[in-house]
Amino acid sequence: MSHMTASVGDPSSLDAAKKVRYKSPTARGRLPALIIFLPPALLLFTLFVILPMGEAAWYSLYRWNGYGTPTEFVGVRNFKVLFNNAAFSQALINNALIIVVSLLLQIPLAIWLAVMLGRKMAGVVAFRLVFFLPYVLADVAAGLIWRFVYDGDYGLFAAVAGFFGVATPYVLADRDLAIYAVLAVVIWKYFGFHMMLFIAGLQSLDKSIMEAAEIDGATGWQRFRYVTLPLLGSTVRLSVFFAIIGSLQLFDLIMPLTGGGPSNSTQTMVTFLYTYGVTRMQVGLGSAVGVVLFVICVTIAFGYKRVFMRHD
Amino acid sequence: MASVGLRHIAKSYGALQVVHDISLSIEDGEFIALVGPSGCGKSTLLRMVAGLEDISGGEVTIGGTVVNAKTPRERNIAMVFQSYALYPHMSVAENMGFNLKLAGVAKPEITQRVAEAARMLALEDLLDRKPSQLSGGQRQRVAMGRAIVRDPAVFLFDEPLSNLDAKLRVQMRTEIKSLHQKVGTTSIYVTHDQIEAMTLADRIVVLNAGRIEQVGTPMELYRTPANLFVAGFIGSPAMNLIDGIVDGDTDNPVVRLAEGAAIAISSDRRVRRGQSVKIGLRPEHLTAGGSDSICGQTLLVEPTGAQTHVLFEFAGQQMTAIVDGDRPIRHGTPFRAGIDQNLVHVFDSDSGESL
Amino acid sequence: MTETSSSVRVSTSTRIHFYLSLSLVAALVLVPLVTTALGGFKTLGDLRLNPFGLPGEWVWSNYIDILLGERYWRQMMNSMIIALTTVFLTLVVSSMAAFCFAHIRFFGAKQLLNYFLIGLMFPAATAILPLFIRIRDLGLLDSYWGVILPQVAFGLGMSILLFRNYFRNLPEELFQAAFVDGCGYIRFFWYISLPLSRPIVATVGIVTFVSSWNSYILPLIMLNTESKYPWPLGIMVYRGEFGTDWQLVLAFITLTILPTILVFFLAQKHIIAGLTAGAVKS
Repeated sequence: MSHMTASVGDPSSLDAAKKVRYKSPTARGRLPALIIFLPPALLLFTLFVILPMGEAAWYSLYRWNGYGTPTEFVGVRNFKVLFNNAAFSQALINNALIIVVSLLLQIPLAIWLAVMLGRKMAGVVAFRLVFFLPYVLADVAAGLIWRFVYDGDYGLFAAVAGFFGVATPYVLADRDLAIYAVLAVVIWKYFGFHMMLFIAGLQSLDKSIMEAAEIDGATGWQRFRYVTLPLLGSTVRLSVFFAIIGSLQLFDLIMPLTGGGPSNSTQTMVTFLYTYGVTRMQVGLGSAVGVVLFVICVTIAFGYKRVFMRHD
Repeated sequence: MASVGLRHIAKSYGALQVVHDISLSIEDGEFIALVGPSGCGKSTLLRMVAGLEDISGGEVTIGGTVVNAKTPRERNIAMVFQSYALYPHMSVAENMGFNLKLAGVAKPEITQRVAEAARMLALEDLLDRKPSQLSGGQRQRVAMGRAIVRDPAVFLFDEPLSNLDAKLRVQMRTEIKSLHQKVGTTSIYVTHDQIEAMTLADRIVVLNAGRIEQVGTPMELYRTPANLFVAGFIGSPAMNLIDGIVDGDTDNPVVRLAEGAAIAISSDRRVRRGQSVKIGLRPEHLTAGGSDSICGQTLLVEPTGAQTHVLFEFAGQQMTAIVDGDRPIRHGTPFRAGIDQNLVHVFDSDSGESL
Repeated sequence: MTETSSSVRVSTSTRIHFYLSLSLVAALVLVPLVTTALGGFKTLGDLRLNPFGLPGEWVWSNYIDILLGERYWRQMMNSMIIALTTVFLTLVVSSMAAFCFAHIRFFGAKQLLNYFLIGLMFPAATAILPLFIRIRDLGLLDSYWGVILPQVAFGLGMSILLFRNYFRNLPEELFQAAFVDGCGYIRFFWYISLPLSRPIVATVGIVTFVSSWNSYILPLIMLNTESKYPWPLGIMVYRGEFGTDWQLVLAFITLTILPTILVFFLAQKHIIAGLTAGAVKS
């Protein structure tokens, strides 16, 4: 067979070939794999994540102590109670306060440290480890340690006050100061994590851009302000995102420190949920808190990524 | 070993059709090369034969049986990939024996067959190494070894030498050829390199935009290309193509070119007076010296040792000629060449068909 | 004078500023930890008078009593059992599901993946009450499984995402070669995907382990037999019991965070990489 140009087959055989549909060999064997691989994850996830969330929405419409089935339908009353509740309002304020302070203090601190530790000087690795260490510890352990630090009788605060001959401030018992004491612990615990984010962010910057700026005559501060900082934008947005999500979940840290007090001044949404929902088995109210928290989290998850991180 | 048949094969991705009605009959033990530019559909065609792509239309038969619905394993084919696709976490021996293991072959037999294939490809010393410890050429051989161990009906090669440097490529080409002579399995070899196709294949299939341009032995494609595309594709450096109009009479046809030049063509050519054509002259067919019709200013001289490539002007365009290396050619001097009438290819300007 | 990476000579004053400021921050980080550790070596009186300094007299009994007792070890064991089981289950379940999303085209795949990703959007705390009721109704209250199963479930979103991206990044031709060799999906998962997954298994394993090891609210709500408490609950109970005997509490805390600190320093690279990568990729 020498000259075979593009063969236009005779129509009848073409149709015959087209009419027979064959099974796709690449799709074979999908079913067994799907049947074995997907159900476990599906089952666990639906049973312990999705269903409870749905049930929370359902329970929030009832007044219920958790035994038997919910029977006392109260509609949106739980939500009304919540938003009129001083402790809950305080919790919302505290969550917001933590977010704001995190942004204003933690991120600059993290950036500053990331820049310092980005240089190749002796001991840089050791410093990085030390700064990251608090993040690795359990929140509850950190809370308990600082409970000691703040203790008015035996703690470090007491010692420092005694050294200066001043009366010890019982910081954690002070309704106005307690939340700031908590904030300090939050920063202590998480700044290392944010620092690591920025170290990674800095490393991904093209070195030659910095050198070009140096040649252009920019001083260290100018290089930072006009080159580094703008280029770190996506890391900043990521850092803010984690700060927000993290602060909304604060519980473990707060319980050993203040338990939410004094006078509910250090409540966060989750501590409120625990104190008023779980310990008192007010399932309806607790679920309502959960619903509010859920709505806030999901709004942020969607909105933030869409609005702020669109181009990252 | 088996024959392979493609009947009215078509492939579409949604609305986009990439392979149009391809039919081909490959004999048992033949070495077929599929060549063409990027995107011509040669790899897609190969993968449809392999069972890695679903077939949109038509049938593939191996050894007479329709295999459209069969997995690659069931088709009893083996494939050598462009990037070798060796399992990084397995040793060479494990790589080669993996398919046998999956088929449930007993361990001693696996060891024996792997050893045999290793011997054929000079891989005995490398059996315990991991792919990351091998050179490009060695990895290539392991990929081939993996295919040989199977003793399949058909070998499929998907541009296996593209990732190797030039020297290694030539070496491996020879190895593939000698392997085929030894083992004799039906082989389908995809490449964009026409030299590989020419040296390895029993027959070559030239593809363009999802259609077959021509099927034939290497020499057939070289001597009698069916159209402009094949003519320009086969042969390196490429054939010189010049526009012209047919003149003269039936016994002594001539093609008039630009700037008053003219070339006599064989009377066997099916041309009519006034027909717009393209003349094809292979650089290696132009014999230097003589008083013949082809003459122009020498623009560039590229000596390659045994030969010299000469770029010169003729009929208003640049042409390449290959002459003997000993012949003195100088830039700026007139270059004269002649050509045997029968070696002058003629193509219709509109259809591209050979005349 | 040493050279920095940008080959600019650093002046001595810059160096002093550098180390001084960093040491200050380091001190702020370490002082609470060190005084906690040291506090365990003191008597209560010594602690009150001299919290910052070295013990006047090194009291070993605080630490030794805890180490000789069974409470500490039992709690460590509980934490270990819960964490290891959580890690194992998470790895198995999420790698299998992720494999399907990475390699198999099936109807509804995209929607199903989004379904799992919902889990990334809200913390376990939001649904903790209904979760408690569910665990109770399943008869798993006050058992390890009551903690393990929710932990696995909530970790699935991120684990599946991480595994899926990793699987997708394996070369496509590897899959084709295995298919030609005769692998079906399941065998490909077992023979190819898993053996090549070490890096991602390490990442997911570390993130899951640390999260479980340090977890407090979940065991707090699901467990009420003290002998089953993991150490985060344990230290709170201990504190409740020994109130103002801070020297004992500090010793206990130190011992419970010691494993974390040790492992952190030994495996720093992996842990830091795992924790930051796990966070960023989600």
